Amino acid sequence: MSDKARGRLTDLLVSLGLFFGYVTALLRSVQDLGYARDEGFYFQASSSYARWFELLFKDRKAAFVPQTVDAFWNANPEHPGLIKGLFALSSLILQKKYHLFAMEGTSYRFPAMVLGGLALVLVYLWGAEARGRVAGLAAALFLALMPRFFFQAHLACFDVPIVTMWTLTAYAYWKSLRAPSLVWPVLTGVAFGLALDTKHNAWFLPFLVVAHIVAREVLYRLDARIQGQREPAFAVSRARSFTALAAMAVFGPIVFVALWPHLWHDTLARFRWYVSFHLNHEYYNMEFLGKNYWVPPMPRAYAWVMTATTVPGITLLLFLVGLGARAQARRLSPLAAALRGRSAWIARWAEGRPPPRFDAGSTDLLWLFALGINYAAWTSTGTPIFGGTKHWMTAYPFLALFAGSGFATVVRALRRELLRQRRRFGWALAAGRPALPMTALCGAAVIAAPAAETIHAHPWGLSTYTPLAGGAPGAATLGLNRTFWGYTTGAITADLNREVPKRGSVYIHDTAGPSWDMLATDGRLRRDIRGVWSVAGADFALYHHEKHMRGQEFQAWVAYGTVRPTIVGGLDGVPVILVYKPKAGR
Amino acid sequence: MSRAPSRLRWALVAIPLVGIAELGAQIWATHRAPTFDAWAAIEAPVRALKQEGDLVVIAPDWADPLARRALGDALMPLRDVARPDETRYAHAIEVSILGERAKELRGWREESRTEAGKLLIRRVENPAYQAVIYDFVDHAKPGEADVRGTDPPLTCTWNANAPIVAGGLGGHPTFPRERFECPGGVFFNVGVTVIADEEFRPRRCLWSHPFARGEIVTRWRDVPLGQVIRGHGGLYWVTERDRKGAPITLTVRVDGDAVGSFVHHDGDGWKGFEMPLGAHAGKVAHEVELAVSSPNYKDRHFCFEADTR
Repeated sequence: MSDKARGRLTDLLVSLGLFFGYVTALLRSVQDLGYARDEGFYFQASSSYARWFELLFKDRKAAFVPQTVDAFWNANPEHPGLIKGLFALSSLILQKKYHLFAMEGTSYRFPAMVLGGLALVLVYLWGAEARGRVAGLAAALFLALMPRFFFQAHLACFDVPIVTMWTLTAYAYWKSLRAPSLVWPVLTGVAFGLALDTKHNAWFLPFLVVAHIVAREVLYRLDARIQGQREPAFAVSRARSFTALAAMAVFGPIVFVALWPHLWHDTLARFRWYVSFHLNHEYYNMEFLGKNYWVPPMPRAYAWVMTATTVPGITLLLFLVGLGARAQARRLSPLAAALRGRSAWIARWAEGRPPPRFDAGSTDLLWLFALGINYAAWTSTGTPIFGGTKHWMTAYPFLALFAGSGFATVVRALRRELLRQRRRFGWALAAGRPALPMTALCGAAVIAAPAAETIHAHPWGLSTYTPLAGGAPGAATLGLNRTFWGYTTGAITADLNREVPKRGSVYIHDTAGPSWDMLATDGRLRRDIRGVWSVAGADFALYHHEKHMRGQEFQAWVAYGTVRPTIVGGLDGVPVILVYKPKAGR
Repeated sequence: MSRAPSRLRWALVAIPLVGIAELGAQIWATHRAPTFDAWAAIEAPVRALKQEGDLVVIAPDWADPLARRALGDALMPLRDVARPDETRYAHAIEVSILGERAKELRGWREESRTEAGKLLIRRVENPAYQAVIYDFVDHAKPGEADVRGTDPPLTCTWNANAPIVAGGLGGHPTFPRERFECPGGVFFNVGVTVIADEEFRPRRCLWSHPFARGEIVTRWRDVPLGQVIRGHGGLYWVTERDRKGAPITLTVRVDGDAVGSFVHHDGDGWKGFEMPLGAHAGKVAHEVELAVSSPNYKDRHFCFEADTR
């Protein structure tokens, strides 16, 4: 077998391992994760779309009657139809026909889990191709083992799917610059359409591509002027970049409209409504460092602090190492070269280093811009922060890719050191594949903490914070948001099943009605327990802690004549969900 | 390979150790706070230490529900948990974890301390204690108080078994079972409830939604007076934070003499007032009236507490 074929086989096996490993982990851990508020609304919309698919399979002509399309697809027009359509098909085919899952809710969640697995595969392939297999595998694992990403990857929502679609588009664009084929530009356009049809984070993609084209042009010209020669391959990749951009402009809207039947009629007006909904989105509440934010100005530090306190520290450190290593590898070329005459330090640093190899994909620049563009919105005090980390999660594959590069740098440095001290560390340089045991050991050391943090966080994904914040207790003391979306009801269903009287009622607080109903459909909650919308008259009251929602807890105190919760659920000694019941005799 | 390793390379080589250190830190972070059940250990020492009238305060405040679960309503009654402020307490029992201290007890003198596992229990003395002679919220019940409207004149009747009404998600505070009910709708009532202030802290108070015209007057009889009438007023913060509502006036009258008025503007939050009683100080008032009015009664979910000291 040739090296190339062996390499391809390795990539295939690693990709399959990552994909099936992650999806299996998600499926095995989903049963104690309650349903987030938004999932409830998507269950409703997907059920409507599923009925349309049923009609489509029976009577195609009837399904395409405009009034029929609207009747089924006008549900939840705030978000595009692709992912909800997949939820619908999964429920319809995998569950209702083949009964693949133990719980119906899982069938809706399954497409997002698959896309979560695919995100890892993409990150691995991209990292491996650009920076080597060690970097690629490390990057995929760093992404997989971000506790918030793992949490979101379970949900029937769009946040992990858009991570995958966003990365796929950027990857296809990068491939377009490097490969002499029209396939990749076309794939870029199609992937952009899929991203548009997933979530509005896709609107940032054209900015990424345009900014990348412009910046690489500027840097190339600067470099050419300094070095006095031009790289012929650049002109080719420049032409390919324009082809990819054109494909995005052509195929993006076509795929977007084709896969969202809601837009098949009255297209412009409905598209305008959709855009306007997100550009003028109302502000919800979010606690940050003890303060409740609900109108601008929002805190500029939010995205940075939340990233620093929720992404494992070692991942962030390796991201910085990767960033530094890439800057050194490129000598910050050509900016460093331009500054060489003006700074003795830069002159010393750049001395004797060969010029960097031409990179048709301008990979570092693309990853850096992808990161920057995904965080850019949160430099404005007008950008809502209510969604927490999920809103910039599209940046995380690129953060992981740099971290993977950082890991590869560490492994190289360690290997050099071991070779230098061959006599003392010969055991780590076993004959044949000297790097393997050392790389594995090194990998285990840097993956252990992210793995421990991710596994431990479940099923309290939004309550988890890294040791940098002091964990969940430290974050609670700092006044960082403890939970939102009302999903933690899923963690106390056993208590409710035990405590609530027959045909009793529970005030469900922030859990959406359809999310509550799905717990009963799944069999996780007794079917006779009714969810109600007021503490008055309810046998029990839930309270999901959010600073701005404390009034809900006080409603229960007054109605039930007690401040004593009967059930407390939470993480590491930090209460997240409380359950009250009326004081005896009331 | 013969080159001596640079400091940078040593730093890179040490990075896997940072990963191991983070793993250690993760284990520390997950075990640093007491478990939910460990809070049961405070019940006996707090019961032994707490004297009549002592306040129980938890630090950090996020652990408050765990203490409430362990101590129950007898040791942490609603009246104390949703207190207007701390000035009325001579002593407090502070239960703390993670080396935290309650901000509201800053400057209080420590009298004793005991430890129960990861929990520290201290009894502290208030250096600026002010004794309350009469708490108007505690006495807002028939026989001691009545409620009426002035324009048109109307009487609000006491109902000891009214249907409890709660606003639900984003809605108004709970209207309790025992309350004075006024004509005009369920919002027009006077009863003891709890609102969330501007920091979303609980504040026990007397709901007193003004009428379209005139005043809603709560009158207490035979009130022993101190030197001042002191209190707070506010709305459930979510209702007033838009700052779009009309001002609300609380007028205090003692035996027919207006001793002061307090105006609440949206955005003020839970705001205090203090009215000297002048010639009435130290006497027993035949009647004390607290009257609430607003030029526009829309969404005026006013709630106040008052005492004399």
